[in-house]
Amino acid sequence: MYLQKINLKNKYALVTGAGKGLGKACSIALAEAGATVIALSRTPSDLDKLEKQIKKIKGKIIKVPCDVMDYEDLKKKIDKIKIIDVLVNNAGTNIPEPFEKVKQKSMNYLVDLNLKAAFNVAQLVVKKMLKNKKRPGSIINMSSQLGHVGMSGRNVYNMTKFGIEGLTKGMGVELAKNNIRVNTVAPTFVETPMVKKFFKNKKFINKMLRNIPLGRVAQESDVATAVAFLAADSSEMITGTSLVVDGGWTAQ
Amino acid sequence: MGIFLKDISLKGKTALITGATKGLGRGAAEAIAEAGGNIIAVGRNQSELNSLGKKIKKLKVKYTSFNCDVNNYNKIKNFITNLKKLDILVNNAGTNIPENFLNVKKTSLETLLNVNTKAVFNIAQLCANQIIKLKRKQGSIINISSIFGLVAGQKRTVYSMTKFGVEGLTKGMALDLAKYNIRVNSVCPNIVLTPRTKKYFSDKKYNKYVKESTPINKVVTISDVATSITFLASEASSMITGTSIIIDGGWTAK
Repeated sequence: MYLQKINLKNKYALVTGAGKGLGKACSIALAEAGATVIALSRTPSDLDKLEKQIKKIKGKIIKVPCDVMDYEDLKKKIDKIKIIDVLVNNAGTNIPEPFEKVKQKSMNYLVDLNLKAAFNVAQLVVKKMLKNKKRPGSIINMSSQLGHVGMSGRNVYNMTKFGIEGLTKGMGVELAKNNIRVNTVAPTFVETPMVKKFFKNKKFINKMLRNIPLGRVAQESDVATAVAFLAADSSEMITGTSLVVDGGWTAQ
Repeated sequence: MGIFLKDISLKGKTALITGATKGLGRGAAEAIAEAGGNIIAVGRNQSELNSLGKKIKKLKVKYTSFNCDVNNYNKIKNFITNLKKLDILVNNAGTNIPENFLNVKKTSLETLLNVNTKAVFNIAQLCANQIIKLKRKQGSIINISSIFGLVAGQKRTVYSMTKFGVEGLTKGMALDLAKYNIRVNSVCPNIVLTPRTKKYFSDKKYNKYVKESTPINKVVTISDVATSITFLASEASSMITGTSIIIDGGWTAK
């Protein structure tokens, strides 16, 4: 009676960056919780692979090939979707460079993808959610521990992820009256394809593990479970906050 | 257990809950039992401990109760150091005496520091030592904090002092206990409707203050908090430590 299970039956969940890494893991976890996943990715072949995996667990998926940085196409594709209950605003990237050497090109790209596209996706999805007033909405913006603390060589990423934390609080406060909750998940380094290339550097991984009190990096399932928890009504009074999945990194 | 979705399951785990007879503690005990965990309930009211036992046993998990004041250090120490099984602590016993800062009585200050800070520390230390002694592969401690562990509230100076303290303790414990794979987190609820807070809500002015401070137009329920506690207790949150789950309908986001 007191425990609310992570249950997403009859919910429609849009996931951006669903083709790889965290987005893929979140898509599968949401399908496991019973949601119909609306998977967005630039790469159709990645979507095909995801479809196979989701079908294997008898889950439901709608594939939407789309570049979130192409606003007109994004708008068109989201307009066509009838119902969205959950958004996992996940598409994002990182280009680590020392502050004084950050290239204009990388700065522009990170801001355009991690902030501008994330904002646009959220706004388009909220407009859709407002049309189905009776269905509660939940938005999970993918942040990072680097949305809470700084790290050398991650200046632009820091800027964008702190921005996501700010956007989340603003949206959380404003959309509460519409029964739409907005939160972030802020993971430490996760074993994903994007991050694995940094792991090859022994010095880097040792330094990193020294900063994670639990002494291990996060797995995709750790983050995907946190996302599913926030997506479901099991967290119905949680909004405008951040679920930090960092093994203690930011507690220090 | 899915490929990427971990279950909130506590089968085979044993959880000690302080302040287990009423409100949040009782909700946490029931939710943990619903997830399959065995319950050790600590409280001061024998008939309520008995009635909780009846409910818990219906869920087919083990139930032990211990009638004890959390401030009776020797008695609680003797109990915890003799436990044969322990994986989870819900460090819940706490109280509040709302008074204007200028009028806070010495006795209220003393009570709040004893219950919300010293007893919370002592029980956490005793349980952590016991989990380590029993060589459990993992442990999880959940300290019950509050939004007033993050921001201030009217007539809540001492309460805030103790709950900000619990937030600090949580982070510090998380660092010291990580090497034993014991995770330590807090939950920070908004004002939950419980037997203790019922009287606050009957005050019209206070009701309005809470309503206007909470963007989501609902009161936090015991179930909302108990679910987060159970999530933190379980391996579904195995990389979460040293942090807080804030269950406040947006109060602190403003």
